[in-house]
Amino acid sequence: MTTISEAPAAAQDGTARKLTYVKAFNEGLAQAMREDENVFVAGEDVAGYGGVFRMFDNLLDEFGPRRMIDTPISEAALVGLGVGAAARGLRPVVDLMFMDFIGVCLDQIVNQAAKMKYMFGGAVSVPLTITTASGAGLGAAAQHSQSLEAWLAHVPGLKVVMPCDAYTAKGLTVSAIRDDNPVVVMLNKVLLGSKSEVPEQIYGIPLGQAHTARQGSDVTVIALGRMVGEALAAADELAAEGIEVEVIDPRTVQPLDTETMIASVRRTNRALVVHEAVTFGGLGGEIAAQIQDAAFDYLDAPVLRIGAPFSPVPFSPVLEKAYVPDQARIVQGCRRLLERS
Amino acid sequence: MAVEVLLPKIGLTMQEGTIDEWLVPVGAFVSEGDALLRLATDKVDVDVEAEAGGLFHPVVPAGATVPAGALIGWLLADGEQPPGPAGTPMPAEPGTTGAPEPAHQAVPAAPPSANGSHVPSVDGAAARNGHHGRGAGGRLLSSPNARRVAAEAGVDLGAVRGTGPGGRIVSEDVEDFLAAASVQAAQASAALPGEPATLPDEPAALLGESVTPVSPLVRRLAKERGIDLAGVQGTGVGGRIRRADLDAVPAAPKPAAAPAPAPAPAPAPTSEPAAARRPSRAVAGAPQPGDVLPFTGMRGTIARRMHASLQEMAQLTHGYEVRMDAVVALRAQLKQEWADSGLPVPSLNDFLVKAAALALRAHPLLNAAVHEDGVHLVEDIHVGFAVAVPNGLLVPVIEDAAALPLTELARRSRELAESARAGRISPARLEGATFTVTSLGGYGVDFFTPVINPGNVAILGVGRLRDGVEWVDDQPRRTRVLTLSLTFDHRAVDGAPAAEFLRTVAALLGKPLRLLV
Amino acid sequence: MVHKAPRKSAAKITRQAASTVTHPASAQVIRDLHERMVRIRLFETEAGKLMEAGKLPGFLHLYVGQEAVAAGVMTALRDDDQITSTHRGHGHAVAKGVSFRHMYAELYGRVTGACLGRGGSMHINDVTLGMLGANGIVGAGIPIAVGAAFAARYKGEDSVAVTFFGDGATNIGAFHEAANMAAILRLPVIFICENNGYAEFTPQSKHMLITDVADRAASYGMPSVIVDGMDAVAVHHAAAEAVERARAGEGPMMIEAKTYRYYDHQGVKGLRHPYRSDAEVEEWKARDAIDLLEARALADGTATRAELDDTWQRTRDAIAEAIAYAEASPLPDTADLLLNVYSG
Repeated sequence: MTTISEAPAAAQDGTARKLTYVKAFNEGLAQAMREDENVFVAGEDVAGYGGVFRMFDNLLDEFGPRRMIDTPISEAALVGLGVGAAARGLRPVVDLMFMDFIGVCLDQIVNQAAKMKYMFGGAVSVPLTITTASGAGLGAAAQHSQSLEAWLAHVPGLKVVMPCDAYTAKGLTVSAIRDDNPVVVMLNKVLLGSKSEVPEQIYGIPLGQAHTARQGSDVTVIALGRMVGEALAAADELAAEGIEVEVIDPRTVQPLDTETMIASVRRTNRALVVHEAVTFGGLGGEIAAQIQDAAFDYLDAPVLRIGAPFSPVPFSPVLEKAYVPDQARIVQGCRRLLERS
Repeated sequence: MAVEVLLPKIGLTMQEGTIDEWLVPVGAFVSEGDALLRLATDKVDVDVEAEAGGLFHPVVPAGATVPAGALIGWLLADGEQPPGPAGTPMPAEPGTTGAPEPAHQAVPAAPPSANGSHVPSVDGAAARNGHHGRGAGGRLLSSPNARRVAAEAGVDLGAVRGTGPGGRIVSEDVEDFLAAASVQAAQASAALPGEPATLPDEPAALLGESVTPVSPLVRRLAKERGIDLAGVQGTGVGGRIRRADLDAVPAAPKPAAAPAPAPAPAPAPTSEPAAARRPSRAVAGAPQPGDVLPFTGMRGTIARRMHASLQEMAQLTHGYEVRMDAVVALRAQLKQEWADSGLPVPSLNDFLVKAAALALRAHPLLNAAVHEDGVHLVEDIHVGFAVAVPNGLLVPVIEDAAALPLTELARRSRELAESARAGRISPARLEGATFTVTSLGGYGVDFFTPVINPGNVAILGVGRLRDGVEWVDDQPRRTRVLTLSLTFDHRAVDGAPAAEFLRTVAALLGKPLRLLV
Repeated sequence: MVHKAPRKSAAKITRQAASTVTHPASAQVIRDLHERMVRIRLFETEAGKLMEAGKLPGFLHLYVGQEAVAAGVMTALRDDDQITSTHRGHGHAVAKGVSFRHMYAELYGRVTGACLGRGGSMHINDVTLGMLGANGIVGAGIPIAVGAAFAARYKGEDSVAVTFFGDGATNIGAFHEAANMAAILRLPVIFICENNGYAEFTPQSKHMLITDVADRAASYGMPSVIVDGMDAVAVHHAAAEAVERARAGEGPMMIEAKTYRYYDHQGVKGLRHPYRSDAEVEEWKARDAIDLLEARALADGTATRAELDDTWQRTRDAIAEAIAYAEASPLPDTADLLLNVYSG
């Protein structure tokens, strides 16, 4: 059941093949660059080195140094360069390598990119794409493992996407680049090598549309990013017991497609939100609030949030494994929601 | 244009009725003639049909007792709102926004204490506050969805057992409650004696199932397809029934359509096929110690009427032994002679009804009604006879019983008893008795004190047909006798006239040929 | 050759010369400089009055005293050259040609304002004139100008980007990151430091140990020049040279203009503890940039008193008309609260 049910026609035509997450991203980016001359990439080690996660492999060869720009380690200037270039009509893709580094350039993202169109009375658009790798699970410790989507989703003017597999990594990246707003593409480090069916041709996945990754009738699990896979695995496990879990992948967390979630919860009457980010102040709280707001009378249990404990991401693998939510905790959570004496 | 649904007045004496169950979901489209609700009157439970088409919108919950003629719902056009303050807001369709206003609000659940930003505890160790999910301060814990579903179905959450975390009532509990109600309704139609007229406290028991969890989906699908989950072999963990298990079961007609089987008191083992097991549900659903059998439907009617009868009247009972040798001999003869004639051989009861009817002609004081201004003697002689049915008893009426030949009386009594047991007797057939005959002879009772049906002044109880002794010249001789128990209202009838009535009955039974015509 | 700034000894640093000490200037440049400076001066003093009259919501960081910098730079730019500005941005906007009407209407929070009433004083912009906005965050406009310069080169255009910032902004990381980025990418950016001696209320001596902000350019391999920020012609010449360099693809350059803020950091007159002496203010006002330029114009016959007075009067009239326009303009409709949060 761990399938992408709505891959475009190409998937059925046989032009889809299995690609890794990072290759799919790379392919989508390259195709978007071919599609639009105004797309360029800037960041630390994106050109000559191809990106520390090989996200930008071979792009320098095809697009040359004019469109593949290695920059100093200067995230504020880097994003600012993106903002200025975007305001002047280009479609920059700037790479922040690790999402944790966002702190050093948050002003450019939050006060400049996000607000420029609004504060300028609509006189400019900022079609800026910020790519960054997020998530724990690789022993990268607390400054290289965070999932900070809640910070960004809180800021009006920004869009935030969280691809959960290779298919969405490509489609969401293409849509982010084509979008006329600043979009942060939160790639997941652990998923970089994971494979799924990816059509060869360029395609976008609509921003702000959730995807029902699995249909079920008993409980709705809303999972962000890497947690989608964990939730699907949990759903498989629970299906063996006759519990049918509906898994919803928002794909875009800002704007958030709450309609799909709410419609689902109105059918299943139970909801669980799971994300890698710490539970406190995480999007689970926002999603839970929206559900209770629109589907209160359809709930048979309080909306359950599963996230990381309120601590920095630990280094030691044994601690990190205990820290990051996983299939087992989702299964437990579903059981708790469905518990009947 | 909104069409009112009024509680129908069935029969002449119906004052009020209880909506046992709404038979269509809120907001569903019904066509004219569709069964809309199951109505319990003091006489009978009947299905009431819609008199027009439209989207159904109830204004009173199931379980409510309302006067005949009262507004109980609306049939609406698409998009139409029920008019006036009498209408409760139409609950929203699933999938739309706009939360419905519950028709009657149960107390909201106390939110669980959520301190929890951290790793959630998933051991479900919420404090259990007892059987019904009473929270602190005695608040009834129920999920919002359970409250919505209950409000739409008109279920009082106080009657629903909570099985969710901490004993909270969840929507499945309400659905189980409703499913139990519909099974119970089906059983009422299945004419199983001894079935209590109440909803069981443990729905799973009704389904003949242990408390193995069944997913809401499976439960819904089973309901849709008319599948009895008790007969489905679960292949999931712990025998849990999965969706796939349902696919293996052919869709069955709704249990309500089941024909009346013979009483089968023995509990059926779970390995029996579903079809053979249906009657066993009655046993599985028998009241258990500790249960509360609410005064709803027929049970409530019986309780009210019997209590009222004893409170209002000055009742006393005469016991009177009558010789039945002649009747027994005549019946034996008729059985032989009429075996191939197609004529119904009258039952013992038929002889008694006819005898009583003829005796009433001679003793009109016992065929009367007490009103404030005095005792009204009644011209017609309509004799009711009690028939045990699963929920209690019904009293079909044989009109002009004194004038009927016994064969005709027998035919009618047989017909009436059958339709009463099948739950399809017309309410009109339960109307207008001026006198009643009731028998406990089949249960081995010799003498008892029948309680007069309100509106009458007497009721004749019939005891066990048994051996008696006749002394002929100091020689004992075996006879057949039974004891009549005549309860009469002393306000209208004194002891002596009552005794004379009994003597007349005895005399008629002693010369039964007179009864035949 | 280095221009020596008043009151500051900066001559010890050798940089690429921007101009000669006595800057020749055409009559047209003089008149242009004068008109832009008068427009700034009157726009700001009227805005200050409106604020004191309680007519304007929000903050007001007035540019009065620093007019020569904006006018000097802007007279060296084309319309397609881009600028990013600061919280004290009215002067740049006026000098770049943004209309009085749009500016006053924005100060009033009217829907006819430069930001449709969504931005206020610190976000006045006009992208059609290359004015990429004032900015409420100190130093934040600097990287954006780098991006604008990047875009120009990417598109094969020869326009340049100019970023204005104060002495205080050079203590923020974004300045250093952007300066280095512009230098390493050899982008056509001109860094204009308007050194008015104060970071809000903190004198330069208390927020950096160096005297000349221009010294900082050296660490990014960027040439720099110091000019008298009260001499509009000097600023004009320095800017023109830097622009020419940038257009030629020779990379960024920094100009430090020593100047002075007549009014407080915010508003007209601060009510708090005095952080500078009246004598200091008077000393700078004695070298008022407009007075200096008018004296020069009258001395060399570029303009007559009547012509200069006519400029003032025309400007006053235009401002009065713009204020009336702003006051008559409708307020934004609250139904449009979410307008322009997102594109598309």
